[in-house]
Amino acid sequence: MPQLNPEFFVSQLFWLVVTFSFLFVFLWRVSLPRIGNVLEKRERKITEDLTAAKELQAEASQIQEEIEKQLKQARTDASEMIKSSSIALQDKAQTELKKLDKELETKIDESAKAIDKSKSESVSQIQDQIHQITKLTLSKVATFNVSDDEIKKAVSNSERSIN
Amino acid sequence: MAAKDSPLKQFEIVPYSNTELGNYDISFTNSSLSMVITVAVITLFLTLTVNPRSIIPSRMQLISELMYNFIAQLLSDTVGDNGKKYFPFVFSLFMFVLIGNMVGMVPYQFTFTSHIIVTFALAAVVFIGVTILGFVNHGIKFFTFFYISGVPFYMHPLLIPIEVISYLSRPISLSVRLFANMLAGHTLLKVFAGFVVAMPFFTGALPLAFIVALTGLEILIAFLQAYVFAILTCLYINDAYHLH
Repeated sequence: MPQLNPEFFVSQLFWLVVTFSFLFVFLWRVSLPRIGNVLEKRERKITEDLTAAKELQAEASQIQEEIEKQLKQARTDASEMIKSSSIALQDKAQTELKKLDKELETKIDESAKAIDKSKSESVSQIQDQIHQITKLTLSKVATFNVSDDEIKKAVSNSERSIN
Repeated sequence: MAAKDSPLKQFEIVPYSNTELGNYDISFTNSSLSMVITVAVITLFLTLTVNPRSIIPSRMQLISELMYNFIAQLLSDTVGDNGKKYFPFVFSLFMFVLIGNMVGMVPYQFTFTSHIIVTFALAAVVFIGVTILGFVNHGIKFFTFFYISGVPFYMHPLLIPIEVISYLSRPISLSVRLFANMLAGHTLLKVFAGFVVAMPFFTGALPLAFIVALTGLEILIAFLQAYVFAILTCLYINDAYHLH
């Protein structure tokens, strides 16, 4: 078996020491730190990105909260505005109505007064005319004189009975 | 069977030069060439693939990172935080054995891990290093490693020699495991390759199919043995920190 032939033992050991030492030193000093650095860099990048993402998320949720708050505020403001403006409108309408009522009332009163006045005027006119007609009729029909007072009395009596 | 057709011929060492250092022959051989190729492959791969240092790795960079993480995970699982300083060594050991095995799987390439002297040297480095580490960490108390508490006192005369022997046989089991696996696998491949040539007509296709399957198995074993070598080294380092 060639493995047990000691002829090349020293040579193999020598080259083993040379090659393995070189490999060990090279990996230790060059290759492994490089790979380690890359892995570390990646790890750092990932954690940085993750924290940045978390921060952004927190910021976004804060903004969202703010928006919701503002929306809520806007909604309450709007409903309050609607409420107050409708109350104001109602008040205005009521006062307008009252004013209109008053005006109408005065107008009604005035016209009632005018009507009353014209009525009484016409009544007195009618009475006068009735009086004169009665006087005229009597003077033509009857031979006796009737005083004005008596005629007036009779007319008012008949008027009362009509009424 | 002629000597040149022996399945063990592939393990013969062929010197390419006649170099001597003092009285020692340090000729550059096919074994040395394999080692140099292995080291070149590892260093070039790990350097070139990670060169862009991308945050989002290319596939090749990902392979390097996976290897890095694989051994880092192995060390932290077995040794814990103490293991970090041995990472370069365990990683080098794992890569050296793994790529050495893989280079050996290339046809006509010499497999230096199939030589007991090489695997024993690696195992001896681990054994001596771990023993020194144990003495540095625990001083004379390191010897309590061989003393198992919780057994009846009259068992100790039996158990302590067993513990000592099992401790001393660590480098042997570590090196022989790798060496024997590589030796057996490559020999088997060569034996079946011999059948392909020796069998008449097309019946040689049968051992050829077997070789294809065996090659897959050998690649698995090449990885597995490198893994076993690395994990046992980790466990020995752990023992040097935490005695029983």
